[in-house]
Parts: sequence; structure tokens; C-alpha cells
Amino acid sequence: MRIVIIGVILALFSACGSGKKSDEQAFLEGLDSAKAEGPSISEGVIGDILQQIPSPLEISVLLKESGRKYNVGYLNSPDNISKYNSNYKKALNLGVYGTDLGYTNIYEQNQDGVKYMASIKDLADGLNIGQFFDIETIGRLATNSKNLDSLLLITTQNFNSINHYLQTQNRSNLSVLFLTGGWLEALHITCEVATSNPANKELQETIGEQKIILENIMLLLSFYKESDQNMASLLTDMEELKKIYDKVNITYTYKESTFEIVDGVMVIKDNSSSTIQITPEDISSIRSIITSIRNKVIS
Amino acid sequence: MKKLIIIVLSVITLSSLEVIGQCNSETLSNQCIPKLAAGFNFLKSYKIEKGGKDYVEYSYVFTKGTQYMINICAVAQPTDGIVVSLYDSKRNKVATSKVNGQFIAAIAYPCNTTGIYYIQYTFDGSTGYCGGSTLGFKR
Repeated sequence: MRIVIIGVILALFSACGSGKKSDEQAFLEGLDSAKAEGPSISEGVIGDILQQIPSPLEISVLLKESGRKYNVGYLNSPDNISKYNSNYKKALNLGVYGTDLGYTNIYEQNQDGVKYMASIKDLADGLNIGQFFDIETIGRLATNSKNLDSLLLITTQNFNSINHYLQTQNRSNLSVLFLTGGWLEALHITCEVATSNPANKELQETIGEQKIILENIMLLLSFYKESDQNMASLLTDMEELKKIYDKVNITYTYKESTFEIVDGVMVIKDNSSSTIQITPEDISSIRSIITSIRNKVIS
Repeated sequence: MKKLIIIVLSVITLSSLEVIGQCNSETLSNQCIPKLAAGFNFLKSYKIEKGGKDYVEYSYVFTKGTQYMINICAVAQPTDGIVVSLYDSKRNKVATSKVNGQFIAAIAYPCNTTGIYYIQYTFDGSTGYCGGSTLGFKR
């Protein structure tokens, strides 16, 4: 009987131990040498702001839906990867390439997409987060345009997992850079397309609306300005961009929404409205500064 | 000896109950992804677990001209008393998924104003206080 009891107790202890980190996880964490000295605010607050940043995929869909043609010339060459040796550059360009991959996926340019996948996997491996990028599945889905929905889903989930993991590992600085790079590339592509289509008001408004995201990104970068020289320098560049965005005026009029139920879905009618005042000169200045910042990031 | 056996068995039983009572919000949010209506692209999945506060809140920048869909999945249908409410950047309520006592599992929101929106989940007669949710978009 005693043996049985001891056995049960041992089994209990081993079950309690199942919540411990696996050896593999412990090894991977041991490899993580990219922890920053620390932000000036809690990781939780940073996570709350990070989650607000919209996916660059939304802009790629906007460009495609508005009839703009695919142009690989807008994107950062996947061959530039050899230039990215620091964690700072790797994280920023992981975001840049993430946006570029989304753009190629939306336009179903799978041959280009495969090159971006390889570069993304390399950068992610370099940051010890490669385990979250399922290149095998993504590569397989990319071979057939019928898999577009699955391809977009898996890619988005992989990037969400990377962000979540970085935040749980107190490496939110890399998450901030990753999202900043992605946003920067999306704004760069939008500016390029808008310049080729100067009469397109929707694109101009999209550029103007980025004022809201810029404020969030600057806030995030400011948390690291004392502890990270690179992020402080990037913040200084963003301050130049903000000077132009200060001229952009966004007004908002709230009006209570209404709704109807359609096939079990509550469909809201948004009765509020907003206007965005942005001039062609503002667009030109924003494009110029974005090009300058991006050149620093991708070179 | 009998006492010891009772203690050990009690610990095992209580541990099992804890496992059963655990909230698997990640699985529930994954189950929600295919429930996004056709044409919507997946953006985020959200865990809904009652913590210290009476509500669970996330935020996201919605863009003018884009339609968003938020759906809720829970163990009990349709939402196990989970209600999602949407607030704009000035905390004006834009939508809530409980109407006339009915719990709606999905909200579609064609956005007219770019800005930060707060997606707040509350519990109204919930039994499990556990669910998952996804956010999708289409142009």
C-alpha cells in the first residue's frame, strides 16, 4: 500500500511539473541576447499601444481594390538582407519585408513572395524567433492562388505570434521596431502610388490618416530614447515627419450609430463622419521624408 | 493510512477539477476564425477571460472606408452571455452586441472615421466567463 501511495504522490509531483518550460524553450530563451536595457514604462502599457497599430495588409488591400497595379519596384529588395547585421536593423527590416510579403500575397505574385519569405525566415532566425514563421506551410500555400485566404491567414497569425512572443519575453523593443518597419514600408508604398495617381483622393486621405499611427509610433519609440541610441535616432527622424503631419487637420463629428440584424449579424450603420485636410504639398513633403527615413532603414 | 489516501485522492480530484475549469480561450478564438464572413481577412484573435476587472478590453485603429467584423465564440451558444461593445476614440459607444435581451455573436462595422476604437467584452449571465473572438476586415 505504501508503494502505491508513494507512486501516486510522485505522479502528482511530476504532473505539477508539467507547467515548467521545455528544454527547447529554455534553450531558445538562452539564445535571446537582444534584451534591451529596458523601456521607461511597463511592458503592459507598451503592449496595449502595440496592439492598436493596424496591419499593413489593410493598405495593400486598399491599393489592390482601388485598381492600382502591382509594382515590385516599390518594395525593398529581398537581396538587401546581407546588410542587416544588428538586431535593430533585423527587426526593422523584418517589418519592412513583412509588408512587402503582404503586398505580393495580395497581388498573388507568388514568385516574388517566395523570395520575401526566405529573407523573412533568415531575419527571424537571426532574432531567434524563426520558430514562429512556418515557411514550409506558407511556401506550400503560395504555390496555388486558390490558397490565398489560407496564405494570408497563416502569415498574419505567424506575425501575430512573433509579436506576442517578443512581448512575453520582455523584448518589446523588437516588436516596436518590427511594427514601425512595417508601417514605414506601407506608408512608403502608399506615397509612391499616390504620386503616380495625384487625383486619387482616397489615397491622399489614407496618407493623412497615418497621423494617428505616427503619434502612436513616436510614443512607443520615446519609451526607449534613453536606453537605445538607434531608437532615439529613429524618433528624431519621426519628429521631422511629425512637423509635416502637424499641418494635416482631421476633424470628427460624432453621431449615434444605428443597426440592423442581417442573417444573424449585427450590421452597424456608422453615422459619424470625419474630414481630412491634406494638401498636395503636404503629400510631397511626407513622401520626401518617408523616402529619407526608409533609405536609412533599408540600407 | 486511510486519512492519507483520502488526502491524496482529494488532491487528485481537486487538480482534475481545476483542469476542467480552465479557460481555453485560445482554442475558442481559433474556432472563431472560420466564422468570419466571406470576404473578410483575418486581423487579430482576442482571448476573453474574466480577470480582475469586470471586462476585457482591446484596442485597434480602424480605418475609414474599411468594414470590420468582430465575432464571439464561447463554449455555450451563442455567446455564453459575453457581450462585445465598440467605443470610438472619445469613448462614445458605437455598438453593443446585446439587443432586446438577445446576444448576437457577430458585429459588422463599416467604419466612417479613422481612429482608435476600443473593443470591450463584458459578461452578462455568463457561466464560463471564457471565450474567444476574432477581428477581420474587408474593403
